[in-house]
Amino acid sequence: MGINRLVEIGKSALFTAQQAISVSGHNIANVNTPGFSRQEITLAENRPENGSPGQIGTGVHAESIRRSFDSFVEGQLLASRERLGEFTASRNALARLEPLFGDTNNIGIGAGLNEFFGALQDVATNPNDLSARTVFLSKATALASRFNQSAADLTSAQEFLDRQVGQTVTDVNRLTSQIADLNAKIAYAESSGQQANDLRDQRGVALAGLGELIEVSSIEDATGQLTVFAGRGHVLVDKERTYQLVGVPDLSNNGLLDVHYDAGAGSTTDLTPVIQSGRLKGVLDVRDQTIPSLRTSLDTLASEVVTLVNQQHRLGFGLDGSTNQNFFVPTGTTASTIAVGLTNVRQIAASSTVGGVPGNNANALALAGLRSTDVASFGNVTFQEYYSMIAGSFGSTAQGVDGNLRAQEILHDQLTSQRAAISGVSMDEELANLLQYQRSFEAASRMIVIADEMFQTILSIKR
Amino acid sequence: MRVSDQQLFGSTAGSLTRIKEQIVRVHEQIATQQRIAKPSDDPTIFGEVVLEKSALADNEQWVRNIQFGTARVTVADKMLGEAQNLITRVRELAVQARSDTTSAQGRVTIAQEVRQLHRQLIQLANAEVNGQPVFAGTKTDAPPFVLGIGDAVSYQGNSESQSIAVGPNQTTQIVLPGDQVFTGGTTNVFNGLMNLLTALEGNNGAGIEVGIGALDQMTAQFSSAQGQIGAIANRLETAQGTAQVVSEAIQKIMSSQTDTDLATALTELKLQETAYEATSQTFSRLFDLSLLKFLR
Repeated sequence: MGINRLVEIGKSALFTAQQAISVSGHNIANVNTPGFSRQEITLAENRPENGSPGQIGTGVHAESIRRSFDSFVEGQLLASRERLGEFTASRNALARLEPLFGDTNNIGIGAGLNEFFGALQDVATNPNDLSARTVFLSKATALASRFNQSAADLTSAQEFLDRQVGQTVTDVNRLTSQIADLNAKIAYAESSGQQANDLRDQRGVALAGLGELIEVSSIEDATGQLTVFAGRGHVLVDKERTYQLVGVPDLSNNGLLDVHYDAGAGSTTDLTPVIQSGRLKGVLDVRDQTIPSLRTSLDTLASEVVTLVNQQHRLGFGLDGSTNQNFFVPTGTTASTIAVGLTNVRQIAASSTVGGVPGNNANALALAGLRSTDVASFGNVTFQEYYSMIAGSFGSTAQGVDGNLRAQEILHDQLTSQRAAISGVSMDEELANLLQYQRSFEAASRMIVIADEMFQTILSIKR
Repeated sequence: MRVSDQQLFGSTAGSLTRIKEQIVRVHEQIATQQRIAKPSDDPTIFGEVVLEKSALADNEQWVRNIQFGTARVTVADKMLGEAQNLITRVRELAVQARSDTTSAQGRVTIAQEVRQLHRQLIQLANAEVNGQPVFAGTKTDAPPFVLGIGDAVSYQGNSESQSIAVGPNQTTQIVLPGDQVFTGGTTNVFNGLMNLLTALEGNNGAGIEVGIGALDQMTAQFSSAQGQIGAIANRLETAQGTAQVVSEAIQKIMSSQTDTDLATALTELKLQETAYEATSQTFSRLFDLSLLKFLR
């Protein structure tokens, strides 16, 4: 076989060097592709031929092209994405609510209470002054509308988050069908013994996207297909088949969407309580816990303002001798329904006696004194102290999420960097590889030239 | 360890973003002069600020109340002083009239002057602040003292008193009802003067004598009212002083809790700027360290 073998060896070296250069080129081309894992070529010797005095080599071939990939780091990164998705969603939702407490700029309910009681004191010092009464009535209306506005803001924030739940469910389904699709392609490609590196990278990106939305776990089977679970073991993807999440309005929760799992058997399972992480968790937490608890607190505050002010107001007498009048509409005992009922400023019951009109201010003083009254249903604190507790506890929640998010971002950066150390492309490395294989390509070409010259030499013998 | 390009870019981008965030935060604090604007900036302090704002509003309102009360008390005090002068003048006239050398005609002439003073006293007793009589009790929608038939004067006000809030759970009376100062108490001033007028015009020496005795009682009654008003004025002044001191103290605390400390904020800004510059510079150095550079 002689010289031909030399040509064959040269050819195998040429091909292999070309392949290696292609792999490096692919790596360089994908240096910025999200989710891309660096690929490596592994070379092996060709099967040798038996001969004398021993086996003789027949060249080189590329045994495999594999991804540099650490499933442990990928797993950690996925878990980190879930937390990151959760905290980001919570933080954004809470930041939306913070303007409710504009009290440092005198635009919150606390500032409204201050103005309400201040104007009431002006009525107490000038009980027969109609302008003081008019101002008080307008401050009371302003207080009521601050409550109304806050309640409306909470409702619209809740509806906004509800739409996000619906959108997120759609996103989950889109990603799971992508994963199922890629499962099929990977199984097909790998059934013939190939490594579907790039398809696997794409599937990794889809899985990471899914992790941002909901906590997922996955197992890879022998055919390379992923089974994906979410919400305590509910299968979202099984080979090429997906199981959908659906948003189902919950009538016991104002028609807000619950996240259900559709196993395809006609009925669905409610996953809402078992979702542990991801954007869904963050959005659901704020929608179903923070906002309702804020609303309850504001309702309690509004209810006590209405009840206590009315109770005291009924005892007094207006300038027109009217008595037993409610100041606020007695049925409006929530933040969304609180409203001033009195329209005639003469009926503001500043006087404690019918004969003391117009200068008697004892009832106005008693009303103003409510400001420093401890209210039993608040746990024996005043209106302002209760409001301060609401603001403080909301602030703590928001601050906690902020802190968690910042810590998670740093952790995530570290994990990303760890992944990049394993799977990322290093230009220097690839350039070095390019040079290395370029040299072997040159040497292999040289080998073929030498073989050709040897042929020439032999052919020239005959002449 | 392998160092990939992503690592280099990723970690640098992350650091730069975080530093920028800090810079924006500090810049906001400097621009708004507020270190704490949202509950999440510092939940504890935010809660305290809500209460401090409320306490501040209270104290400022008390000062407002006191200023209003002081206006009424000052007018009442001034009117009582003038009433005292007026009674002194009446007493001089009465003593002159008492003299046996004063003729009946002379007593009638004196009576005319006393009647003028009587009418003046009604005006004093009907004095108003912002349209509200100060000696009407709480019946402040009409002049309390009304001249009836002859020299008779009736009190149309009531015996109630108005109080205002001047401090935490503290109220102070700011009104002495007219029936206590003029028509009640130990003597009815207007009746006393009316009787004196009758005695003067009736040339009744004994009646004038009785009238002088009544004038002394009036002086005592006014003095006692002046004493009460003085005490009220004192209380108001003290309460105002307290409320102002407390207001200032609260403002100081709030300012220290929520205002941006410029020195700290600017130092922080400088620090972050330096970090940003350093990160950018090291990044560009690292970026230079590429094999590509040497392969041309």
